[in-house]
This record gives sequence, C-alpha cells and structure tokens, in this order.
Amino acid sequence: MTLALHLVAGVDFNTLPQQLVNGLLLGAIYALIALGYTMVYGVLRLINFAHGEVYMLGAYVALFVSYFMGFRPDATHPPQATILNLVIMLLASMVVCSIVGVCIERFAYRPMRSHSRIASLITAIGVSLLLQYGGALFLPNSPPPSISESVNPFHGQSKEFTLKGPSQDLVMLVEKAKPAKDQAQAAYQGWLTSHPNADIYNLPADGQALKEAQQSSTDIFNDAEHKVEAGGVHLIIQTGQAVMLVSTVVLMGILTYMVLFTRAGRAMRAVSHDFDSAALMGINVNNIVTFTFVLGSSLAGAGAMMTATFLGTPLTTFYGLAPGVKAFVAAVLGGIGNIPGAVLGGLLMGMAENMVVWAGYSNYRDAVAFLVLIIVLLFKPGGLMGSSKVEKV
Amino acid sequence: MRFWSIRLASVLIALGACVLLQALVGHASDYEQRIVVLVGLYITLSVSLNLINGITGQFSIGHAAFYQVGAYLTGYLTLNYFSKQPIHNMLLWVILMMFVGAIGAAVAGFIVGLPSLRLRGDYLAIVTLGFGEIIRITVQNQPAIGGSYGMNVTPKYQSVALVWLLAIICIAVCRNLLKTAHGLPFLSVREDEVASQAMGVNVTRVKVTAFLIGSAFAGAAGALLAHFEGFITPTTFGMDVSFIILTMVVLGGTGSITGSIFAAALLAYLPEYLRGLKGADGQPLMIPGSNVVAWLVAVAVAVTLTRLVMNKYSGDKLKKLALYLGAFALAVVSRFIAAFFLRMIPVMANKQIPIDQVRMVIFAVTLIVIMLLRPQGIFAHHEFSWSWVKGLFKRGEVPHSAVSA
Amino acid sequence: MRVIIMRRILTLNVSALAAIAVFAAGCGCGSNSGTTAGTPTTTTTTTGGTTPTSTAAKRPVPTAAGNTATGDKIVVGMVSSLNGDLKPWGDDSAKGGQLAVEEFNKQNPNGIGGKKIDFHVADSNSKPEQGKTAAEKLMSDGALAIVGEVASGITAQIANAAYEKGVPVVAVGATRTDLTDIGSNVFRVCYTDAFQGPVMATFAYKELGKRKAALVTDLKQPYSTGLSNSFRDFFTKLGGTVVDEEFYNTGDAQFSGQLTNLKSKGPDVIFMSGYFNETGPLARQAREQGLGKDVPLLGGDGWDSREILNTGGDAIVGSFFCNHYNSQETRPEVQDFLAKWKAKYGTAPGTTMGALGYDGTMLTLQSLKAAKSADSKDLMDALDNTENYKGVSGNITLKGMGGSPHKRALVVQLTNDPNAPQKFVKAYEWDDVFGAGGGPGAAPAATTTTK
Repeated sequence: MTLALHLVAGVDFNTLPQQLVNGLLLGAIYALIALGYTMVYGVLRLINFAHGEVYMLGAYVALFVSYFMGFRPDATHPPQATILNLVIMLLASMVVCSIVGVCIERFAYRPMRSHSRIASLITAIGVSLLLQYGGALFLPNSPPPSISESVNPFHGQSKEFTLKGPSQDLVMLVEKAKPAKDQAQAAYQGWLTSHPNADIYNLPADGQALKEAQQSSTDIFNDAEHKVEAGGVHLIIQTGQAVMLVSTVVLMGILTYMVLFTRAGRAMRAVSHDFDSAALMGINVNNIVTFTFVLGSSLAGAGAMMTATFLGTPLTTFYGLAPGVKAFVAAVLGGIGNIPGAVLGGLLMGMAENMVVWAGYSNYRDAVAFLVLIIVLLFKPGGLMGSSKVEKV
Repeated sequence: MRFWSIRLASVLIALGACVLLQALVGHASDYEQRIVVLVGLYITLSVSLNLINGITGQFSIGHAAFYQVGAYLTGYLTLNYFSKQPIHNMLLWVILMMFVGAIGAAVAGFIVGLPSLRLRGDYLAIVTLGFGEIIRITVQNQPAIGGSYGMNVTPKYQSVALVWLLAIICIAVCRNLLKTAHGLPFLSVREDEVASQAMGVNVTRVKVTAFLIGSAFAGAAGALLAHFEGFITPTTFGMDVSFIILTMVVLGGTGSITGSIFAAALLAYLPEYLRGLKGADGQPLMIPGSNVVAWLVAVAVAVTLTRLVMNKYSGDKLKKLALYLGAFALAVVSRFIAAFFLRMIPVMANKQIPIDQVRMVIFAVTLIVIMLLRPQGIFAHHEFSWSWVKGLFKRGEVPHSAVSA
Repeated sequence: MRVIIMRRILTLNVSALAAIAVFAAGCGCGSNSGTTAGTPTTTTTTTGGTTPTSTAAKRPVPTAAGNTATGDKIVVGMVSSLNGDLKPWGDDSAKGGQLAVEEFNKQNPNGIGGKKIDFHVADSNSKPEQGKTAAEKLMSDGALAIVGEVASGITAQIANAAYEKGVPVVAVGATRTDLTDIGSNVFRVCYTDAFQGPVMATFAYKELGKRKAALVTDLKQPYSTGLSNSFRDFFTKLGGTVVDEEFYNTGDAQFSGQLTNLKSKGPDVIFMSGYFNETGPLARQAREQGLGKDVPLLGGDGWDSREILNTGGDAIVGSFFCNHYNSQETRPEVQDFLAKWKAKYGTAPGTTMGALGYDGTMLTLQSLKAAKSADSKDLMDALDNTENYKGVSGNITLKGMGGSPHKRALVVQLTNDPNAPQKFVKAYEWDDVFGAGGGPGAAPAATTTTK
C-alpha cells in the first residue's frame, strides 16, 4: 500500500500521454522483431535464438548501404538526404536479412528437424554465437560505427502538440521574467563586444558580475518557462520515430495480408497448425518454412534499419542481443506461435517499460519485462493469446 | 555391512582424490589453478542442471541465477559477519557457507520451481531465464552489495579440494538418485507427465524436489566461487553463463551425468586452452583472416559430407570408414582451395586475428558441429559404467545402462 | 513411497555430510590467502555504489613476494582493451605504452642494469573477467608490473589479481575513486572521479551558473555510477539541487522514456556520466525531445573519443566534458609527445588514453630505473615515492597520496572543427575545486597520513 502511494506521489501525470506514446514507439519495434520469433516458433516449434543476430546484420547492411550512398561520417559534404535513400536502405536490409535467415534455416535447422527440440535450440545458440563472434572478426565494430544522421532527412525534427495549455497566471510569470532577462543579457553582450578578447570562463570582476547577473536572471526566466511547460500537457513526436511507427504498421499490414489472404500464408497457417498433416495434404513444408523465415527475417531487417537510422545507436555485433531477448519475451508474453499475440506482447512490453521509467524506476526498466511476463504466465500459462494445451500421451 | 563399507570406501576415495588433486595443482600458477577450479565448478553446475533439465525434463535455462544467489549471499555474510562470529577456521566457515549458499539457492529454486507446476516447455524456460535476469538486475541496483562494481569477498579462501569435493558429492547424489528406485519418478515425469501422474507419481513433488536439489548445488558452487575469486560482479552470472551451462548438459547428452561431466570439462577448458596457444614467436597466436574463413568452409564441407555418408550409406563398415576419410580429405582440400581464393581479398589476407578473438568462434562451431553430427549429445543417454568398459574389450554389444530411457 | 524417498535422500546426504566432516577435520589443505591483508578488516573497498566518504584508511599491503626479473629481461605487462567497446581507448593506450618503451630503450641503450625491457600487451576485450585472466597470464610470464586498464571495472579485477601476487598496477585511465584502496600495489596516472565529478559540478555551478542538474547514469558501468555520485554530492554541496537521476544500460538504444521524465523535472544542465557509445544517441534524442541548447550537456572523461561527434552529431556540439590534457596546450611535454606520436603512427592520437598510456608506462619504467633492482616490491616503493613527475597529462605526485595523484583536470568543449574537436575551456587544480588544504571532509582525501 505504501509502495502504491509512493508510486503515485512520484509520478507526473502530465507526462503520461508522452510516456504512452514513447511506449507505443518502443513496443512497435519489439513487436516487429517478436513477429519473427513467433512465426518460426509456430511453424517449427523452435526458438530461433539467431533471430537477434539477423537483426544485427540488418543494421550493418543499412550502415554499409548508407556508406555506399556517400553518407560516411568523415564525408565533409554528404549528399542531400531524401526518403529514397531510406527506402533503399530498408529494402537492402530486408533482402539481405531474408537471405541470411533462409541460409541459417537451410544449413543449421533443417538437418536438426527430425531430432529433439532442445538439440535444435543448442544449434540455434551456436549459430547465434557464431554470428556474434565471427561477425566481430570482419564487421567494423570497434569503435562501434553508427549510421550518420545526415542520411536521415528527419533528423532533429520533432513536432509538439499541446493537449492542455497551462494556466494564464503561469504564462504571466514568464512575461514578467522576460524583461529582466533581456536586459541582463544585453548588458552582458554589450560588455563582451567591448572586450573582444575576454575569455568568458575567466572574466575580470566587472565582466563576471554581469555574467552572473545574466545567468541568474536567465535562471528565473527558465524556471518560469519550465513551470509553464510542466503546467500543460504536451506531446512531442519526433518525426523520425513517427515515420518508424507508420512504417512498422504498414509492414505489419502487409504481413497480415500475406498470412491471411495468400496461398502461401494459408499453407503456413496449416503447417503451424499441424506440421505432419499439412505435409500429408500435399503442402511443400520446406518451401513454407523458407517462406516463414523470409517473412520473419525481413521484418527483423526492417526493424534494425529503422532503429539504427532513427535512433543513431552505435553498432557492434552484439547489437541484436538485448532487443532479441526482449522481443522473444514479448512473443512469449503474447503466446508464442500466435501472430496477433506477438504484436500485443510487443506493445505491452514497450508500454510496461515506459511506465516503469515514468514511475521513476528507470534502473529496473530491464527487469520489468520479465516481471510482467512471469505474472502473466502465472495466470495464463500459455501467454495472453496462446492456448495452453497439455501435451497428450 | 557390505553396503556401508562400500559407502565408506567411496567417501574415503573421493576425499583422497580431492586432497591429491590439491597437492598436485598446489604449485601450479594461479591461472592454471583457476582453470582447474572452473572446470570443477562447471561440472557441479552442469550435473545439477542435468538433474532438472535432463533427468526431470523441466526446461530450465536460468541456472546462473542460483549460482549468483549462492555467491552473493555467502559473499555478503563473509564480508560482514566473518570477523564477528566465533568460527575462526576459514575451512569450517567456508563449508558452513556452502550449506548456507545451498539453502539460499534452494529457497530461490523453490520459488522458481513453483511456477513450473503450471508451465511447461518453452514457457518455463523463459520464466527461469527471466528470473535470472531479475536477480541480476536487482543485484546491480544494490549499492550495499557493490552494485555493478562488484563485491569484495574477504577473507577469501582458495581450495581446489573443496570445489572438487562438491563436484563429486553432486555427481554422487545425482547418480545414486538415478541408480535407485527413487530416480524413477523423475524419469517418468520427463517421459510423460500425464502417464506418470496416472501411475501415482506425485508430479508436483518430483518437480519441486528436482529444482530444490539442482539449485542447492548451484548455490554451493556459487559460495565456493565467491570465496575462491574474492571478488564477484553481476556480469559473472549473466544470461550467457546460463546458456553455457545448458549447452554443457545438451552437448553431453541430455540426462547423462557422464555426458554432463565430460561436456563441462570440455567446454570450460576449451576456451582457456585456445587462449593459451602461442605462435612461433612466443606471442599469442595470430591467424590470417582468410584462414579463419577457409577453416569454416572446410568444417562446413566436412559436416555436410559426413552427414551425407551417415544418412545415405548403409553398407560395409570398412567402406563407410573409407568414405568418412574421403570426406575428411575433401574438407582439407577445400580449406586450401578456399584459402587460395580468399587471399585475393585484401581485407581477409591482411587481417591478422589473435587467437583470443577466434576462440569463441571455435567454441560456437564446436557446438554446431557436435549437434549436427550427434544431435543426441556426445554420450546420448548412456552412462559410464564398468560393464561398458568391459564390453569394449569383449567387442560385444554395448550394454545400455539402467538409466536408458 | 514418499517416506522412502526422503529417507533415501537423507542417507545420501549423510554420506555427503560424513565426507565433509572427515575432510574438515582431517586436513587444512585450502590456502587461506584472504587474510594476507592482515586481519580481515572490512575497511578495504567493499561497496561501489556510493562514493566512499572516508577511505583515508591504510591501504592493505600485499604480502606476496611479487616477481623478480630473471635472465636478461625485465618483463613489463600492459592490459588493454584492444577489442570490444573500449577499443579506441585500448588501442591508444597500447600505442602510448609502446611509444614510451621505445623511447626509454633509446635513452637507456643498456637497459636497466644490463636487462632489456620486454613489453607485453595483453587484451582484455573490454571485459573485466578477461582482463583478470590477461593479468594473471602476464604475471605468470614474470611481469614485474602491470600497466592498465583504461576502464575502472576492468582495472578493479586486475588490481585484485595483482594484489594476490604482490605486483604493482599502474592504472592508465581508471578514474573510479575507491580503486586504489584495493591495496598499496595500485597506482594511477589519472585523476579520480572524486575530482572530475566536483570539477564538472563546479564548472556547471560557477561558470555556467546552473542550479538544477539532472543526472543520466549507465547502471552497468561502475565508472558511471561512481561519477554520477561524486557529481551529485559536490553539486548539492555547492548549493545546487539534483532534480532527477535516470538510468540506462550499456547497449540501450531508446532513451525517450527517461528523457521525458527528465525534461518534466526542468533541469538547467544535464550530466551524462556514461561512455561515448551511448552518450551520442542520448544527446540526439534529448534534443529531439525538446531539451534545447540552453540546457548544456556535461560529461566525464568517458566522452573522450572522436566517435562521440559521429554518434551525437549536431546535438552534442557545444557540450562540455572533463579531460586529462589537450593537444592545444603549449607545455613542452605535450608538444614533444604529439610530435613523437605523429612520427611513429602518422596521425594525432585519437583519445587522451594515448597520453595516459604513455605516462603510465614511462612512469613505471622510470621508477624501475630509480628502484635500481628489478623486483616488484622495490618498484612498488619507487612508484610510491614519485614526486613531481612531469607527465604529458600533467604533473604526477604519488608520494603520500595513497596511489591517486592530485592532478589537474581540463574542461573542454566539443566543436564542429574537425582539426580541433575539443576546445580548451578551463583548467582546474585540486585546490581550485576543494580550496587549499586538501579539500572538504566529504571529498575523499586521497592523502593518507602514512609515509
């Protein structure tokens, strides 16, 4: 009870909408990766541990393509970034990731198919280690390179929406503080122009006094501004992240279409329902497994390209490890093998993580994913949307 | 009477072996001693996980969590209470700590074992994994036990003998459990939960017992690790450690104690052995990038051909052997052909890679190759036994042990 | 059935118990090396999360004999992050070390007493455990001293391993304050977080006129947690308030949740104590979240890398951090070092760790020369007597300092200029921050009274 009170006392409800949006953005990426896990699991009953590494390779492909198009970090005059560049990077990542995914399936998982599932799992761990450490030998990873922000036409852009304005007297406060600030600023600037060689971090007494006056008046002004800011409810949408969300939704739409309305998709669902019977019904199971890996891996590639480009994370060959585990948890949370479940699980995880941050416990952000999972599984042992079947005799 | 004399003799032999080992490695360098200790600890860990995973069939992949509970609990007690309590003999204290670590980890194991009543398969796996992560993150967040920096465990106590004694006890407990009628419920739960329930096995009890025993040994191993290293950090108990332990169990053959021991020794020693490889100049071995890839190609060729022979050819044994040799020869040839072409790529040819970086690649390839060629694990479900050794000499049929499923 | 199982398991345990009892009574074959530090006191460094308040206690003295050079070689080891996340630093530190050895050999063609210096560099792969193994390997190869590491977490492991052997460690860039408390064998050539945290706090409070700070800490890095704490302590002591502290883990990509929180608390200044890898994206996302340039970003020496300008882009330009030296300094040591580096490697050093690696190795070699005997113990004494050594990164005095020198720290600003990415802003001496006389009580006075 006290904990609950403490939790409520520590949070700022004005930032809740923003945090929900943050959670949505984070969750969308988890969902995108989780789809790959869940589809492979649905078809093969295999936890594809190398999926995170496919994701990592996708980020590297995006990096190389951006280099190839001239967006190197050391380029003094990078070309003008357009959306076309991003689309090329996206497609390249998706294509290469599909190829890698299919190769992994063909050479590492298919020979194991007739053997115990745990043996396939260890093979998957082996493949994952091979890609992490083998990749580290040949991919640039130290210092970790990152995709230059010059390739991102939306970089640094964001749009602010005001859901609820601050009260009028708060705005007045800013108005009141402004003249003093402007005056002090002008005085300080004037002093600086008359002393062009002054070192602003080592000023003589008169300059220092002006500087401090300017700083303290700015302080009051900023304080007032912050009060205005905090008094209202705002929503800042970073353009890059909005693009990310839209693309994710589009990709998921395409996936849904493919799974529900194409022949291959129907066959995939059949295989997922019953592997052996599907084979007996004349479905070429191997082709369908390949198709599944193409879908899952290309989604991972798309996710990787978007995070690496829009968030600017430096790449190492362990880049896929943490998102891979989180996405896997998301897939299990939703009920592994269940496609809508993976999306739900991903979104829920993203939300849960941001809610914990919102409550002021960002140091437990990584633990909460697992906590939510354990709690959900205790009540629904098959995940949120999965069915829990007792394996029959 | 005979029962007890055999018991006593085996206890004495075990003790003697541990003391002898201690005397043998007593003059080795710290580095070598650490490898011996690591192998011992990993044997304990993998055999105890084997009890949960292989013998009872509960898919647990968070074993490092129990290891961590044991290490941190006892490390904290030693640091803060050793000087304030009456036992001043470090040996007795560490043995006490082993029990404390075991109990602490068993409590944790009980907490994790409870959901196993409702969950099965991959769902249980992810819960155990998550539990491990929660513990690690919680430890990382506690300044009182060092947070991410780690905790000093003083006074430390380095005993190779204790580590190996624990390993032997762990092996003995698991083996005796299996060899006797009391192991049968565990096996039956693994084979078929519903059927064993129908036969009157208390499934709940068996599962929880397996978790209790398995985690207790991991906790005791953690206690010894903390006192051996004298300094523990949360990263020592990460997810990767859990995976390595799981790998040892599966690689050795799920359910086979012998296999777990063998695989633990192999996988704990292999990376350290590779690290020690030296080039002609006495510096750590350097391998050209092209050769690394060429070897990978050779391994791929060898595995593919061997699998082909294994699955498609069922003729004369001698001819089959010749085919295997041929596959091997082809692989070696392909290594040189591949190297020849790869050397034309400047990035590959000019890059000299120290063995330290290649060793984890070798580790990964070893895993994949063993799994592809022998999916049931090195020892499958067999155990080492004297009759098996005798069978080798008699050239007769290899007898299956009592454990075979 | 149940009863039988229990009884059976009990029997098993009885035999196990018997084994242990026999074992405990029969032999004392464990090596009780923990008490090497004298009585098992708990005054040695125990907890990492908080800034140690009074660590002026005596450092434990290793009892092990250490290594003595045999044959015609003196082995000096260096552990460095030649791979992994910290590679830019590890590479520079190793290069600096090699430069120092080369120069020392040139100055002393006969070596030390006829013994040549044999310099071994071992890789820690940016990981604490591997750093420890690497150090153990070096010591078993006969290394008299170990230079390194660049990061505190790794150095702690190395220092512990070296303490067991009685081998001195000269840390290159490990700034965590309580590191040198591990034992009297641990030294460093850089300043500590107990200094750079307060330096940045002073700079923020006095020069930038900021009163409300927010901290962003990398929970996985002991360096970051320690530095955040020392910044917080001094900033509040100066009269400022810390309005928020947010955490992330090494390798995280999305920080918008933390930044939203942070922004709602309205800080004037943000102190990001992590390493450069995450700081770049953090800065980018902070700016996109609407934390404008009037909220300056500050950091510690973990920012020191060219990479930060790639990953941080425009967002990070104009931010300040604390560094060890600056290539624009006119001191002869600096210009001389830069010229030598350029001659050997063709470029300018990418990070400060080049200079620190050079200083650490050179100081070790000069101390070896001063010790006049090729023995770890004597080397340790010689290092402990270092007075006013003129290093590239400033003057180093270790005598009576408990292993951590009081060094100058520079505040630098990141710029767009590719030729001078770090603009010198202000230099702080120990006394500038803590006042004359060693500093206020809460500042960990590294001055031990032992002589």
